[in-house]
Amino acid sequence: MSFGLLAGLIGMGLLVGLIAIRVPIAYAMAAVGIGGILTLSGPTVLLSQLKTLAYGTFSNYDLSVVPLFILMGNIAGKAGLSQALFRAANAWLGRLRGGVAMAAIAACAGFGAVSGSSLATASTMGMVALPELRRYRYSPALATGTLAAGGVLGILIPPSVVLVVYAVIVEANIVTMFSAALIPGLIAVALFILVIAIYTAINPEAGPRGQRVERRELLTASLGVIPVLVVFGLVIGGIYAGYFTPTPAASIGVFLVLAYGAARRLVGLRDLVDAILGTARTAGMIYLIVFGAELLKIFMSRGGVPQAAADMMLNSGLEPYTVLILLLVALIVLGCLMDSLSMILLATPFFWPVIAQLEFGMPLMDLKVWFGILALIVVELGLITPPVGMNVFVINSLARDVPMMDTFKGALPFFLVELLRVALLIAFPGIVLFFPAWLG
Amino acid sequence: MPGSKDIFLAVRKATGWWALVGGLVILGVVAVNVYSVALIILFDRPFPGVHEIVQVGVAIGMFMFLPYCQITGANVTADIFTANLGRRALARLAALGALFALLLAVLLLWRMFFGLQDLQTYRETTAIHQVPLWYAYVPILISLLLMAVSALLNLLETRAVTDREDEGDPMREGRPTS
Repeated sequence: MSFGLLAGLIGMGLLVGLIAIRVPIAYAMAAVGIGGILTLSGPTVLLSQLKTLAYGTFSNYDLSVVPLFILMGNIAGKAGLSQALFRAANAWLGRLRGGVAMAAIAACAGFGAVSGSSLATASTMGMVALPELRRYRYSPALATGTLAAGGVLGILIPPSVVLVVYAVIVEANIVTMFSAALIPGLIAVALFILVIAIYTAINPEAGPRGQRVERRELLTASLGVIPVLVVFGLVIGGIYAGYFTPTPAASIGVFLVLAYGAARRLVGLRDLVDAILGTARTAGMIYLIVFGAELLKIFMSRGGVPQAAADMMLNSGLEPYTVLILLLVALIVLGCLMDSLSMILLATPFFWPVIAQLEFGMPLMDLKVWFGILALIVVELGLITPPVGMNVFVINSLARDVPMMDTFKGALPFFLVELLRVALLIAFPGIVLFFPAWLG
Repeated sequence: MPGSKDIFLAVRKATGWWALVGGLVILGVVAVNVYSVALIILFDRPFPGVHEIVQVGVAIGMFMFLPYCQITGANVTADIFTANLGRRALARLAALGALFALLLAVLLLWRMFFGLQDLQTYRETTAIHQVPLWYAYVPILISLLLMAVSALLNLLETRAVTDREDEGDPMREGRPTS
C-alpha cells in the first residue's frame, strides 16, 4: 500500500472518530483535510492553498443558488403559501377516506416546488396540516407519519439543495439534475397517496372522511394556489424551458415571493429578518460543509483513495448492479446517522468514481444523473427512519403528545414504498432520464 | 464591569446584525439578477458582469453568515453516538467542537490576510467591472474575526458549564439541514 493511501485510510478513520464525538461535521472534514494535505504535500502547499481556497469555494457560481432557494423557501413559508396549498388540496381530496392526509401530501409536494429543503417543508406543512388532521381524528401515527414522509418531498421535488451540491461535486449540469428529479418526485407523490389509500382501507378509523365542501369553497381554495403555480412555473418552468439559468431563476423566485408577501401584507420587516437569519444558519452551515469537503477531497485524491476504492470494486468481480445496490445500502445506513447533505458530500467523492468505472449500458453523463437521483432518494430515507430521523423529530416537536415511536411506525409504510420506488428507478433508468432527454 | 453573559449577548447581537447585512448583500444580488432579466426581456439588452457580481456578492454574504452560525450553534453534528452521555461530558465535547471552529477561523484569518496582500500586489480585479478583488476580502476577514470571537465565547461558555453544572445550557442544539 502506498503512503498516500495509508494516510487516506487513517484520515477516514479519524474523520469518523471526530464526527462520532460530536465535532461539527464541517470542522471535522476541514481538520482532517488540512492535516492530510499537510502530511502529503507539506506546509508550503497547504499554506498557499488556504489563501484562496475558501474564497474559491464560497464564490462558486453554481453554488449561489443554494442560499437563494433557501431564502425563497423561508419567505414562502411566511407568505401563507403553505396554508393556501393545504386549503386547496383539502377541498379536493378531504372528502375521501384518508383524504386529509392525502391533501397534506399534495400540499407538501406543492411546497416542495418552492422550497429546496425537507425540514422546512416538514415543519411548515406540519404547522398547517396537523391541526386539521387532529380535528378529523386521524390516528396520531398516520397523521405524524404522513407529515414526516411528506416533508421528504421538499427535497425530491425540484428545486433541491442537496441536488445542487451533488451536481457541483460531480460537475453535472444543475438544469439536467432538476429536470431528472421531476418525474421520480411525482411518482413519489402518487405512491405516498396510494399508501394512505391502502392504509385507511385496512384501518378505516385511522383516516375518516372529511366533509364535502361547497363548489364555491372549491373554487376560492383552488384560486389560492395561483401564486405557487406562478412562482413554480416561472422559476422551475423557466429553468426547464431554458429561459433562465438557475441563479437568475432563483433570484426571480425570491423577488416574487417577497413581492407577493409584502403586497398581501403577510410578510413584514420582522418576517424578512427571520427569513434572512434562518437562511444564514442553514446556508452558512452548508457552505462550511462544502468547504470542509473540498479540503477533504484534495487530501483524498492526493492520497489516491477514490481511485483505490474504484479499483478494489472493479477487481472484486461483483456485478455492476450488485455494486450499485451495495453502495445505495451503505448510503441508507449512513443516512440514518447523519444529515443528507453531509452524507452526499462525504460519500460522493468515493462512490462516484466507483460507479463511473462500471458498465450500466448508458453514457457517463446519464449515469451521473441517474446515480445522483438514486443517491438523493436513499439519503433522504434517513430522515424518516430511526435512530435520527430528523423529519420525525421536527413533526414530533409539533405534536408532543404523540410518542416518537408511533411517528416512526406511521412513517414505515412510506419508507417501504420509497424502497419500491428506488427498485423501479434501478430497473427502469428511463423514468429518470426521459424528461431531461425530452427537454434536450 | 460587564459579566461574561453580557459580553456573550453583545457579541451574539453583533453577529446577528452582521448576518442581516450579509442578507442585504444577498438581496442585492437578487436585485441585480432581477434587473438584468428585466433588461433582457424589456429592451433585449444584457446587463454586463452579472456573473461576477453574483460570485463576489454571494461569497461576501455567505462569509458574513458564518459568525452567526457559530454563535447560535447551527453547525450540524452527528449526535447519535453520544446521545447517552451526561451533561458535563457533552459540554466537554461542545468545547472541543468550539476549539476546532476557533482554530479554523484563526487559520483562515491568517492565511486570507496574506491572500488579500497577494491580491493587492498583483492588482487582481474582477473581469468585467475591474473592481479590485481585495475589497471583497475586507468584509470576509472581519467575518472570520467575528467567527473566531464567537467560537472563543462558545468555548468559554462550555467551560462555564463544566464548572457549574446546575445552570442552563447556553449552547443551542445543532440542527441539520435538508
